[in-house]
Formats: sequence, C-alpha cells, structure tokens
Amino acid sequence: MSGWSKYVWAALAIAVLSHLALINAVPNVLTGVAISRLGEAGVNQWHMAPRVTEASRTIVRPAPDFAYSVCAYDLARGPLRLRVADWDQYWSLSLYGANSDNFFVLDDREVRGDAEIILMRQGRAAPDHAEQVVQSPSSKGIALIRRLAPTLEAYNAAARVAADDVCAPFTNS
Amino acid sequence: MWRRVLAWGAAALVGVGLGVASAWAALEFGRASFMERYGAWTHSRAAGSVGADPYTRAVIAREGLLALSAREALYFNLAEDSQGRPLSEACVYELSGPPLETRWWSVTLYARDHFLAQNGDHAAAIDATRIRYDGDGRWRARVAPVRGEAAHWLSSRNTHSGFSLTLRVYNPRREFRASAESLPVLTTLNCAGAAP
Repeated sequence: MSGWSKYVWAALAIAVLSHLALINAVPNVLTGVAISRLGEAGVNQWHMAPRVTEASRTIVRPAPDFAYSVCAYDLARGPLRLRVADWDQYWSLSLYGANSDNFFVLDDREVRGDAEIILMRQGRAAPDHAEQVVQSPSSKGIALIRRLAPTLEAYNAAARVAADDVCAPFTNS
Repeated sequence: MWRRVLAWGAAALVGVGLGVASAWAALEFGRASFMERYGAWTHSRAAGSVGADPYTRAVIAREGLLALSAREALYFNLAEDSQGRPLSEACVYELSGPPLETRWWSVTLYARDHFLAQNGDHAAAIDATRIRYDGDGRWRARVAPVRGEAAHWLSSRNTHSGFSLTLRVYNPRREFRASAESLPVLTTLNCAGAAP
C-alpha cells in the first residue's frame, strides 16, 4: 500500500469504528442523562412526576394519560426493595438497564393487591428470605410505575396511592 | 515527517467525521428501515426489548426512551400523511378508527422535539376511556389547530415545524393484529394555501 491509499483506508476504518461506537453509545448516554436528571432529588426512592403537561421536559414522548413514579436506582450498596401499591386501573412496574433495555415488567394482570420485588445486581448472591428477586444487568437503572390516570381527579387519586410505594435498601429484618 | 503526521491526523479526523455523520444520518433518515410499516404508521416490535439490534435501540432511546417492551405495550408512530407528506399544522386532518382489540389505547400528538406541543389547550391526547363511537362503529378525532365542532380533538396549534402522532396499545389481546385496516386512518381534509 502506497501513496494516499493507506490514508484513505485508515479513514474508512476509523469511520466504521466511530459509526458503530456512536450507535452503541447513544442508548447508554441518553439513559445516563435520564438517570442523572431523575436522580437529582435522590436515588433509590420514588419520586412521583407532576401530571404530564406541555411543560414536561424530562423524558421524551411522555403520555399525559399516566401518573408516573420513578426511582433512579443504584445497586452498588446492595439490593433494593420495590413495592407498588395497588391501583384500581391499569398499572405496571417496569425496569430499565443502563443501556435503555426494558428488562422486566410486572402489571396488574399478574398481581392481586400490592406488588413487591427485590432488585439486585446480576451475578450477586440473592439475599436470604427474598422472594421475588429480579436481577438488573447494570448497577444503575430506572424503575418506573405507570398508573393509568387520564383525568386530573384520577391523577390526584394515584398520587395518594403512590405515597405507599417503596423503593429502599433491602434488609433481612 | 511532519507531512506524514499531518496526513494521518487528517485521515483520523475525516474518519471520525464520516463515522459521526453516517451515524447521525442513520438515526435521522434511516430510522424507517429499522421499522415495520402499516399504512403510514411505523412500528418496532423490538422497542424496549433486550433483543433489540443496536440501531433500533438507538432510535428508541432518542425518540421513546423508557418505552415498554412488546410484551406489555405496542407503539405506532405516524409522521406523514397517506401521500408521504410530513404532518403540518397548516392542514386539517381526521383520524378515525375501529375499536382496537386491546385493553387500553391512546393517541398522543407530539411536536417535532418529541415533547407535547406548547398549545395551552390541553388537547394533546385521546384515549379509550373517553372515546365515543359513531353509529358506524368507528371513532373520529379532528387533528387541527382549532377544535371546530369535533367531538374529539388533537391540537396542532403551535407545532410550527411539524408534528407526529403516537398510538399506544396496552395489553393487546390475542386477536389484535396490526395492519393498515385495523389501525386508525388519517385523512387530510384540507391544507391552508393548497389549491382547492
């Protein structure tokens, strides 16, 4: 290889590598930004989002029909206990890893009454006495509760129910 | 010596530039190739899935971060009319559809920045709990800057650079089959400045 051709091939190789690196980085970067924003008020605790309006600017394409509660989690110090208080319409608990994958969903079709899971880092030993254990592929991620609440009255009722949700370190006691 | 260093530096810069530009173009213009089409609706069954390919994952992270996987909900997006023209606030549309085989559904209008449009009229979404069906068994909603006499309205009042619609289908029943016929249909009624 001589002349300019080696530089052209090098540029093309770098182009392919940087293209792939960027495509793979986009979900991690955007999820990282979301975790930072959502965790500003504190990680490992639920925060109920204000009712979705045109002023909502934290997560793209929000649905104004839902009451959202979010817990930006960090499992570095151990497992968490997540509890979702029952709601009389559709609700779901969804978990997202650092690469944006929705790796777990639980909804009101599968649970009667309140729901509870233990969330731990993948590959770690499950704590004793833990029943429904879910393994997160990353230390950091996002837990999200959606409660169907298309009206202001329903949102306010969901806010009262959400006061009983739990996102907190798991203890064996 | 310096000439060679400069040449390698230039090759690296050009390579990174090409890589960044092609990645941006893939996400901005090539997104349709990672999606299924039903009429003018686009849909990705891999949205939110742990099995999503890197391009689908990147597109969804940009335009629908925290989407649910298909096990729980299906998302359909509409950004063009039946003629392939971008949706515009200069036009009046009618969105109509049959009952959907699902537990709950909604249609939400988003501005080009993927957030609710700054309309100030609380007409960003319609949903299955509040929809009324006409005598022919279909529901109808007006998509326009003003409501007029419509029973249901999605406001495009301040979407100055275009908008899109998202249909959410939660807990679809086994009978649910996405198709151009089963999904809502958008009809352009008129556009300001268009020839009569």
